Amino acid sequence: MAPIVAADHLSKWYGQVIGLNDVSVTVPSGVTGLLGPNGAGKSTLMKLITGQLKPSKGSLSVLGEPIWRNPALYFKIGFCPEQDAFYERMTGLEWVTALVRLNGVSETEGVAMARRALETVDLVDAADKKIGAYSKGMRQRIKMAQALAHDPELLILDEPLAGMDPIARRKTIRMIKDLGRAGRSVIVSSHILHEIESMTANILLINQGRIVAEGNVHQIRDLIDEHPHTVYIRADQTRALAREFLTQDDVLSLKFEDEAVVVQTARPDAFYARLTDLAASGELGGIHEVTSPDDNLQAVFQYLVKS
Amino acid sequence: MNRERVNAPSMFASAARIFELSLGQMLWSRRSVFLGILLGGPVLLAAIVRVVVEMYARGFRINGASVAGPAVFGLIIWLLYIRFIVPILGVFFGTSLIADEVEDKTITYLFTRPIPRSAVLLGKYLAYVVCTVLLVLPSVILVFFLIVPMGGGSIAREFPSLVTDLAMLALGLVAYGAVFALVGTRMKRPLITGLVFAFGWEPAVLLFPGYLRRLTVAYYLQALVKHEMPQDSATSVLLQLFHEVPSVATSLLGLAVIVGLSLWSAGRAVENREYVLEQ
Repeated sequence: MAPIVAADHLSKWYGQVIGLNDVSVTVPSGVTGLLGPNGAGKSTLMKLITGQLKPSKGSLSVLGEPIWRNPALYFKIGFCPEQDAFYERMTGLEWVTALVRLNGVSETEGVAMARRALETVDLVDAADKKIGAYSKGMRQRIKMAQALAHDPELLILDEPLAGMDPIARRKTIRMIKDLGRAGRSVIVSSHILHEIESMTANILLINQGRIVAEGNVHQIRDLIDEHPHTVYIRADQTRALAREFLTQDDVLSLKFEDEAVVVQTARPDAFYARLTDLAASGELGGIHEVTSPDDNLQAVFQYLVKS
Repeated sequence: MNRERVNAPSMFASAARIFELSLGQMLWSRRSVFLGILLGGPVLLAAIVRVVVEMYARGFRINGASVAGPAVFGLIIWLLYIRFIVPILGVFFGTSLIADEVEDKTITYLFTRPIPRSAVLLGKYLAYVVCTVLLVLPSVILVFFLIVPMGGGSIAREFPSLVTDLAMLALGLVAYGAVFALVGTRMKRPLITGLVFAFGWEPAVLLFPGYLRRLTVAYYLQALVKHEMPQDSATSVLLQLFHEVPSVATSLLGLAVIVGLSLWSAGRAVENREYVLEQ
């Protein structure tokens, strides 16, 4: 099967700064995770793949065609960027409709497509609410909706789970896996291995502008499990949550920050599963945001380089 | 949906959709509110002049000479609107057509759609024209009704000239907007460059005879000013500006060339430029 993305000696530099350094890689169809710490070149690669940047050197093709200055290719691509930026005064439905209409569909068809996309990301109830009034998780989901609305062959998601609450996170992960099973290709970036691992076993590890590993995630995972994983949880009842966490063997430490509790766990998978169940039950109040700081993966990369 | 099922929208259809998306955003932006307040200035000024004239004098006078309302209105149109407000609107809106989207980091959503990037510029430019015309129009109409009746001016008789003035102001906005859209896409400090062009280059060059004045927008707008200016010493310097004006046809052609070339060049710049958003 033809690769969805093929880079050949691809480099990108910004003046004297190298963003991506001589990368040759092919991304197969299906779900692929792009994993790397901040400044690794992840965003540069995403921007090159989505045609926002022009390669400084080498070549890049997406779905068999060069992407730079090839707008027709965007019929087949949906992109969910990392930045939290919107037309705040528009409602979710208006915004997604306006964007999908740029694909050449009529107003009626655009509204229907936008509604379907909002259903997919579970935002129908907030369709007529202004985006400025959305929570962080809702804003992430509306970004996903605009990327999905035109039913693209390739979906490119830059840190899509950042800031989502546990339930939305679980739904989004399930949706990405479903898209993969339905024959769509998805490239999803993250700095959290456990997120990527929950969506796919196929990953590209990027660091210092180079692809340092590609393929199956499980071998790397074994190394990573030896490192504590930090989770930041913003919730209504942080003290009650902390009491609950302290009864769990895998929790190594915890501290409070503003309206959040920051936990270090030795078994992230088990911790995330319990956290999602807690959020779903609602017995310890609302859990609004779950994020993991970038230093988790930085530590893993340092560990990998040493070993 | 894929490209086999849906035809790519044409350049103008794409621009029309960007226009729809941008107009509301532009109309209710902080910039529009600020410039809307600025446009209240001439109305306030006109109201004060009218009250003063009605209460303390029989007519409006410049250096002792009586000046009729239509001539005062003509002065306001030329000095305040054409030479100041229209370039200001052009600079502040035109230079930011793409820059605002880049600064707000929303440009990504528009540049990852199956439309030419230049359609984004064109759509936003059209939104700018409509938005600024909607801002200027009420202000000019109010000033007209306040000033023209002074000194025996007739609103009915002068109404056709108001229509001409509004068309000229719209042309000015179209032309300045295109020039400053080009500045916004090509220059590193577009606002400063735009202000220097509008309030440094244009007034300076217009004072000298020769061909350089043809490199201004104001030169071509002059021919479209139909008002008779007051004949007095204070305005005589200004009247000199109206000498050597091109014909209406030359003016319209000149403005069309300026708009066409500026938009074409700005579109090329947007197509080829990489926009790196700060994280």
